[in-house]
Amino acid sequence: MLTRGYYWLVTALAIPAFLWLVPTIWMVSLSFQPNEVLARTTSSTALGLVPVPFTFENYTALFSFGQTPLWFLNSVIVALGMTLGVLAVSTTAGYALARLDFRFKTPVMILCLIGLMVPEQAVFIPLYTMFADLGWHNSYHALILPRMAVPIGVFLMMQFFRAIPQDIEEAARLDGVGWLQIFRYVMLPLARPAMMTLAILTFLYAWNDYLWPLVSAQQREFFTITLGLASIQSNFAQSEGLGRVMASGVIASLPVVILFLIFQRYVVQAMTAGGSKG
Amino acid sequence: MTSINKRRNHLSEAQAAWVLLLPFLAVYGAFLVYPFFRGIWISLHDWNLLAVAFNPDAREFVGVRNYERIMWGRNIEWAALAHPTLQILGIAGVGISVFLRWTNRASRATAIALGLASVLLFVLPGFHPGEGGRWYDRRFWPTVGNTITFVGLTVPGVTISALVLAAALNRETRAMSVLRTLFFLSQVLSVTVVTLIWQIMFSPRQGLIANLTELFGGSPIVWLTDESFAMAAIVITTIWWSLGIAMILFLAGLQDISKDLYEAGALDNATGLRAFWHITLPNLKRTVTVVVVLQIILHFQVFGQSHLMTNGGPNDTTQVLVRYIYQTAFRDSELGRASAMAVFLFVIMGSFSILQFILGREDD
Amino acid sequence: MKQIVIGAAMVAATVTGATAQEVTLGRFFGACEDAGTDTTTSVGEACIIQSIINAASEQIDGVTVNTLPTDWGNYYDQIKAAYAGGTPPDIHVLHRSALAEFAGLGALADLTDDLEAAGIDPNDWADAARDAVTVDGRIMAVPMDFHANLWHVNMDLMEQAGLVDDNGEPILPTSPEELLQQAQMVHDATGQDYLAADFAQFPIGVRLVLSLMWQQGENIFTEDGTATIDTEAARNAITAITQLFDAGLANPQLNYADSQQAFLNGEAAILVNGTWVVDLYDSEAADPDVALSNYYVADFPTLFDEGATWADSHMWAIPASVQRDDPETYQAALQVLAFINDHNIDWARTGHMSVRNSVLSSDAYAALPHRSEYAGTAEIARDTPPSERYGAIQDVLNREFQAIWLTDKPIGDALGDAELDVQDLLDR
Repeated sequence: MLTRGYYWLVTALAIPAFLWLVPTIWMVSLSFQPNEVLARTTSSTALGLVPVPFTFENYTALFSFGQTPLWFLNSVIVALGMTLGVLAVSTTAGYALARLDFRFKTPVMILCLIGLMVPEQAVFIPLYTMFADLGWHNSYHALILPRMAVPIGVFLMMQFFRAIPQDIEEAARLDGVGWLQIFRYVMLPLARPAMMTLAILTFLYAWNDYLWPLVSAQQREFFTITLGLASIQSNFAQSEGLGRVMASGVIASLPVVILFLIFQRYVVQAMTAGGSKG
Repeated sequence: MTSINKRRNHLSEAQAAWVLLLPFLAVYGAFLVYPFFRGIWISLHDWNLLAVAFNPDAREFVGVRNYERIMWGRNIEWAALAHPTLQILGIAGVGISVFLRWTNRASRATAIALGLASVLLFVLPGFHPGEGGRWYDRRFWPTVGNTITFVGLTVPGVTISALVLAAALNRETRAMSVLRTLFFLSQVLSVTVVTLIWQIMFSPRQGLIANLTELFGGSPIVWLTDESFAMAAIVITTIWWSLGIAMILFLAGLQDISKDLYEAGALDNATGLRAFWHITLPNLKRTVTVVVVLQIILHFQVFGQSHLMTNGGPNDTTQVLVRYIYQTAFRDSELGRASAMAVFLFVIMGSFSILQFILGREDD
Repeated sequence: MKQIVIGAAMVAATVTGATAQEVTLGRFFGACEDAGTDTTTSVGEACIIQSIINAASEQIDGVTVNTLPTDWGNYYDQIKAAYAGGTPPDIHVLHRSALAEFAGLGALADLTDDLEAAGIDPNDWADAARDAVTVDGRIMAVPMDFHANLWHVNMDLMEQAGLVDDNGEPILPTSPEELLQQAQMVHDATGQDYLAADFAQFPIGVRLVLSLMWQQGENIFTEDGTATIDTEAARNAITAITQLFDAGLANPQLNYADSQQAFLNGEAAILVNGTWVVDLYDSEAADPDVALSNYYVADFPTLFDEGATWADSHMWAIPASVQRDDPETYQAALQVLAFINDHNIDWARTGHMSVRNSVLSSDAYAALPHRSEYAGTAEIARDTPPSERYGAIQDVLNREFQAIWLTDKPIGDALGDAELDVQDLLDR
């Protein structure tokens, strides 16, 4: 039942929510203003929150000359590749550790557990020298592989599989179904919500990763959008104008935001499910 | 579904397990376990990035000298009150943990963890260069301190605001779900977009905050280059950016609290804030712990905000550990030294992970 | 997929044909994506260099150039990472100050014997330029410019303060005392700051202090590797600047973009910045919407005994591995270097000083805007002794100097700490 108190609450929350949105609105607004104007003032109309004077110039320039579309595509390739890779190795390993019995299971589990404690930043230097020796830098696999080794996904999937009742599996066993088939046809379909959670977390991580692409991708063709944006923002004085940089920021964000808006219901549900089961 | 009923020569349980484990173990071994040990090995060498790249023999085994060079100094002495504030806090912490354990208000593991942290707080700040002495690397410990400050400001900031928002937004109505979306939205932006926005937000000349201040006749704060505000600026940016996930996790935790508890509470006149304090918080303890430890681990690895917004300045006040590692490795080419710092980072992260493990088990 | 993506993105730059030799080129200077191929009209460092590169790609038969611009802050990190990873760009820019480190490791190709054949005449280079690219008697790079710190002047503000002489030239200080006095005059007459510079981010403030140290005949370390920073000269140099901050006549908290904006907005009479912005400010000053309208460029004034201003040099190098393993790319890369060398006059349009005698003596060079106003700069150009740790040393100074003016660290403490840290770096 919706009480008066509820409406007050919504109103009271709407104000901070709007403030929360202001920086984003500002970025969008600046991206639609001419660079010559921005060079002098960023608060032409309503503190700059409304794009007057208005121009599309920044976006047309971005698409006629920019590398932003290429970087964006790289990000999509890397993020999707990483997501698929993480899903593949995490579901299989997670299932094996959760439901199957084998020798050395405990040592393997402990080994993976220790891996949880190793942050990316503690291994990026040796990884860098390793990939350098292999001549792997500036490639998609160099950007994707290191993250696949992080065991967090395995544990997420393991916890999920553990919560599935034993009898489903036992019924299949009695029918003489092999373990791999049980995994493929019984467990995987059940694991969809957990996989979705893992996929979204991985995708977000991949999209935002900065340090590893910074050291591994030195060639522009392999810049991700995150890296590409960093390369044009560090000195505004030398860049091609605030409006253009902001337009790149908008282009970089738009698809992830749209993706999130489409899947958000599912994201929250998946996380909630994952949280209660874990 | 017919195919799964076919009787075939199935793999045994153990064989199936290894087949399923193999892909992960392969990448795990190659890209995490091996690099980890290789990192320790590099940290024991004088290893110049470029020199070794051109001539693999250009590295020299130096034992633990890199560790000594970053963490130790000449004539380092220890005194009980070299850094009074922190050390007294440490003593107090030891007292509190003994008291809590004694009065049975904290479990043994919690008391040990808290006590250990307090002892470290008492011991570590006590080291200082004596007469004519100095740290070999004057920047290392201040950098660690900055990182801790950043974590110490960001984690409570994110946790408290996310908790309050989650409690307020925990209703399945259209308006609430729209509001949740708005608060979560910034989470999906990449670090470079976030720093791009906030760099301009904070600019004393072009920034929205400055424009606003000037509108009211104030003189704008030079956020990113003022010693007192630079850290605050990157903390604000980080809170704005990473509130979403914490909020979602809290919302998930809130869903698990049975409605019956609130109904029972309502009979005792516990509604609104009282219900939040007496019902929500106690039942959310486990989620809070998880969120806090996750945040600590996450924010200890801060890099982009410092690297892109302040370049670690002014006067190193926002220099953080990962940025120092990155610079030592790729600007100064000193891979050995940088790797030693990375091992140090691992030890810190590892301690928190173990803490998380202990606290997590305790509640079971 | 990858092929399609790269192909689509590069289509504008690489349509010369399938047989074209691709040359990758690494540089900073910022991005200019719509630079075009007209080298004579582009404005600003980024667009001028990119137009030269685009023109090279278009005009040299069988060679296409693929530019990999990197931001300033990460440039050397990335180029090192690229070398260590075995994938350096076929040509890349670097500073004279970084040459010692790269050449010392054997990373760079020795170009000495191949320049003439490629159409580059080292004898046309100014002596100082040839020295700058020479390591142990061998030419390791092709110089492109000398750049130095200048005083960019807003003549309207100076006029109001009565600091313009009968020849229409600005009256600049000749001692630290005069500096304070004139700064006060500007402030009293206009209410604006006297001087702005990036004191808070990039090491422009460091270069300012270094110049003032050199003016007293001192340096931050000796050729034999002894740090000499905690000195009377350094104290004098720093006090000369901090007196302006203390009197409220300059703002130490502005970074590069903000200080530039302050100058263009007419909020500072003087901007200390490099030669690289002369044409940019000149074109800004022509814009009626920009507050700065009467723009003048002056040599860094001598406040102590002898003239000195910080200077460095941009140059282009080819990795040793390209010369050794890939002769075709090496030849193509040399052609690109020759093309850049031939367009030295276009690059000089930025405001940088040319490195070629034939350009320096040309009418076109003399006719560049403001060129005569800072003709003395070449004479007083200085830098610290070469060191493989140049970047790290600049970083130490930048940190400690910022500590002085941004966080009120006592000058003696900061200089003492800086000396220890720099000595550490020199000893490593």
